[in-house]
This record gives sequence, C-alpha cells and structure tokens, in this order.
Amino acid sequence: MTSAKLSHTVAIILKALSLGYQFGFEIMEVTGLPSGTVYPALRRLERDDLVSSKWEAEEHALKEQRPVRRYYLLTRAGKGAAATAIQRYPLLSRLIPEKLVKT
Amino acid sequence: MILEPEKHSPRNPGHLAQWLLPWAAQLVPIPLRADWQQEWRGELWHLDHEHGNRMPHSARALSLAYGLLADAFWLRSNYVIQISRGSAGSCLATLAFCCLLSIVVSWVYSGSAHAFSGLIAAHFIGGYIFVAIPAIFTAIATNPLRPLRCDRNQPRSEKLLSTRARWNLFLTAKILLTLILVFFGAIAAAAPLRIFIGRSADWFELVLWAFAVTAGLRWALLNQERRCQRCLRILNQPTRIGPPSRNFLDWNGTELACADGHGLLHVPEMQGSWCWYDRWVELDSTLQTIW
Repeated sequence: MTSAKLSHTVAIILKALSLGYQFGFEIMEVTGLPSGTVYPALRRLERDDLVSSKWEAEEHALKEQRPVRRYYLLTRAGKGAAATAIQRYPLLSRLIPEKLVKT
Repeated sequence: MILEPEKHSPRNPGHLAQWLLPWAAQLVPIPLRADWQQEWRGELWHLDHEHGNRMPHSARALSLAYGLLADAFWLRSNYVIQISRGSAGSCLATLAFCCLLSIVVSWVYSGSAHAFSGLIAAHFIGGYIFVAIPAIFTAIATNPLRPLRCDRNQPRSEKLLSTRARWNLFLTAKILLTLILVFFGAIAAAAPLRIFIGRSADWFELVLWAFAVTAGLRWALLNQERRCQRCLRILNQPTRIGPPSRNFLDWNGTELACADGHGLLHVPEMQGSWCWYDRWVELDSTLQTIW
C-alpha cells in the first residue's frame, strides 16, 4: 500500500497498532472507529502484508478466564507505512494515547 | 478452551452479536471459518466484561454486530475476488459485459429496434465480413507459430469436459466474444460521429474494425498462451531463470507459474534448436502442496 492510498482511517489503525494496541476490540475502543470499519481494515492490512496476525498463548487466556485473542502486529512494511502515516497526519499522535499496560 | 453455552436473544442488543455469530459464520469461506469464529468469540467476550467510556453498552453491542457482519462479508467478497481473478470465467464474463454494453449503446443511438436490426444487417453483411475475414488471417499469420500447448496426453479431468475440450471451448468463446465486441464496439464508437457526418462515418467504422479485429484476436491468442493448461487461470509470478551469458550451456528465460500449482511455463529468452517454443511443465500433486 503506497502512501497515496493511505486513508485517514488506515492511518489511525496503523498508529494504534504502532502504539501497542493489538486486537480489534481494543483498537475500536481506543480509536473510536466503528467496528464495521476496524475489522475489514485489519483484514485488508493483513492481505497487503502491512500487518501479521498470531494467536495469543492459550495459557495466558486461561489464566484470565477468557477466549484466546488474535493479535495483530505491524510488519516491517507496516512500520514504514505507520511512519508515513504519522508524517502525513501529525495530529494522530495526540488523538491516540500511549498504551499503558501490555496485553 | 470450553465455554459454557449461553442462550442469546436477538431482541437484546447485548446478545445480538453472539446470536448473529453462527449465522454470519455461514458467509465466511469454509477454510477460514473456524479461525474466524474463534477470533470473534474472543472479541465479543469483551462486550460483557469490559466497560469502555466511549459508548453505552447497547450502542457498542450494535456496533459489534454490524462489524461482525461487515467482517464476514468482506472475507467472502475477498475470497470470491481471489478465486475469480485471472480465471477463464471472469475473462468471459468481462467480455460478455462489454459486448452487452456496446450493444445497448448502439441500440440507444439507433433509436428503435427496427432501425437497430436494419443497421446490424447492413453493416455486418455490407462491411464487417469483408474487413474481418482478412483481419482474422492477418492476426493468425502474425501470431508466432507454435504447437498447441494443450496436448492429448493431459491427465483425465474429473470434470464433465476434458482439459483439452475446455481449453478449446474457452479459446473459441473468447474469440467469438472478441469479434462480437469489436463489431458492436465500432458501431457504438461511430454512432456519435454519424450524427454529424452521416454515412461518411462508415469509413471510420471500417478502419476501426480492421485494426480492432487484428488486435483483438492477437490478444485472444496471446492471452491463451499465458494460461494454465489445467485450470485456465492466468499464470503469474514471472521469474527470470539463468544468466544469458551461459545461453549455450544452460537454459535461460522466464518462468511463469500457476497460482494453484498446476504447472510452470518456461518462456525461452532466446529461441534455439532445443527450445523453439514456450514449454509447459506439469507439476504433480506432491509439488502442489508448496503453493
């Protein structure tokens, strides 16, 4: 995905991922974007190799007594795209707070 | 992890997404379905166990229900696009759509059904045949001669038609649709001109037919050469093989692969007595697992 195709929505999601937010619900909550936008956008980013996904370790989910989550992480290309997005939309840094606790 | 089965009601906004999950899963392609359901169970768990400050609970539940459907729909549509991209079906469907569009445009310009049928008869018999036949010969004559890639030794297909029959049927359908598209396309393109210069637009139409038939048929033949022999999908992933400096010692050229792993097409960089034509190499089922 080139910077020309980087929409504001994708830029917000990339910024959230770069700050350590890792799964759909969390990204939805922190960005305020509707879930109908967040989940398909994550799929598109994964298809375009900007994001990779992995399942959370089952022991961790069991300890917290909840189903396992699918975590999304930025790839090297995704990190580049996130940097471009931040350059293009400098106010993004103020929009999304830093993640305090690692999931 | 085994979760307690719960009763979900569609009337309760909080339960709507959970109630929708098995229904929406039917939209998701089968290979992705189990993972998708697992992921959404994980996402929906947060609905009842975490309280965000952005939205009230019912609004969040409705939003997630919408997201669930949007996600399932996106996966299905993306899957259909991936399956049909470069396939014989999508090629014929695109040509048929263009044919239909050019027929509608030329019908609209002609004014009535009677005028349209008269226009077609006059232009087809009076012009198109005389231009198209030499153009067809030109297209075939300028196409590099090579043996038919789809040979009789192909493994028997489980489908109704043999691989060779499907190959020939697809080529015939593609050529016919191209010829129809060129005929109506040129009439549609000349129609606005006819309003201003009258019958003189027929000359423009004749020239357009001659060029478009030659170019269209050349495209149809070359396009056939770039397809998988088994599934008729366009070959991709072009890879350069071998250094040209070692041309006398080793093979060099470009290799194209079928996305489903049916085979490889070797296109020689330089023709030699040992390799005059593109060579199709069938891969057996054991190698298809690497795709």
